Amino acid sequence: MRPEDAFDRYHQAVFSFVYRLTRRADLAEDITQECFLALLRAPGRFDEERGSMKTYLYGIARNLVLKNYRDSRDCQVDADVAADPRESLEVGLAVERAVAALPHLQQEALVLFEYQGVTLEEIAQVVGAEAGTVKGRLHRARENLRRALAPLRQGKDIHGTTGK
Amino acid sequence: MEPLENDELSDLELDRVLREWNTPAAPARLRAALFPHRAPWWQAIWTASVRVPAPALYVLALLILLAWLRPGPQVLQPRAGLDFNEWKPVAELRPKVIRSNNVPN
Repeated sequence: MRPEDAFDRYHQAVFSFVYRLTRRADLAEDITQECFLALLRAPGRFDEERGSMKTYLYGIARNLVLKNYRDSRDCQVDADVAADPRESLEVGLAVERAVAALPHLQQEALVLFEYQGVTLEEIAQVVGAEAGTVKGRLHRARENLRRALAPLRQGKDIHGTTGK
Repeated sequence: MEPLENDELSDLELDRVLREWNTPAAPARLRAALFPHRAPWWQAIWTASVRVPAPALYVLALLILLAWLRPGPQVLQPRAGLDFNEWKPVAELRPKVIRSNNVPN
């Protein structure tokens, strides 16, 4: 597959993945660009036998996100990440904050599985772990989110009061 | 399956809630940044630009200036009033043979 074709097919998916991990559009744009630049500079590094182009690109994007985390460790998590979801004005924002509050490994497993439609085996390739490990992370992520987002349950409004 | 606690979402509820989180679209400038548009050659010849080092440009300009200032080869103008009608063929040819000095004529 030519890099241009790979871009047309996967750039939106890579951008969404990075955006969901970083919650910053400008950073997602930079990392997506860096990701495809890596493919352009060294297309020979992609080995079809080791996985699909999609998992290869997610792998590069993941490494770049991790590098960014390490470089900006002093920034830590945004103050609003751990906020009570009931304070969120919309469900989407509450979900975003709850996902951001998850440990990073759970976060990436959840995003890849729930939003990017990547299988457990493919996630295992992306993150370099066993499929069983990924399954465990995904399970714990969902457990955490069940609790964190409970105030959004139907019958309760987003401010936490019980509906009639 | 364990009964759900009151303060936990069910799988179905969680899936519904997760779907509410959308992401913006990737900006279109990404493609342009990675794969700049290349015009076909027939367009490129009209829009192409060439970088010339300034000293080379000065020398080139000087050469052009000198060539322009230098007078060209003088062309003799025919005398005014000369008309080719006055030209006539030779009426009589009288060839004169000149031999070398030691041979008498």
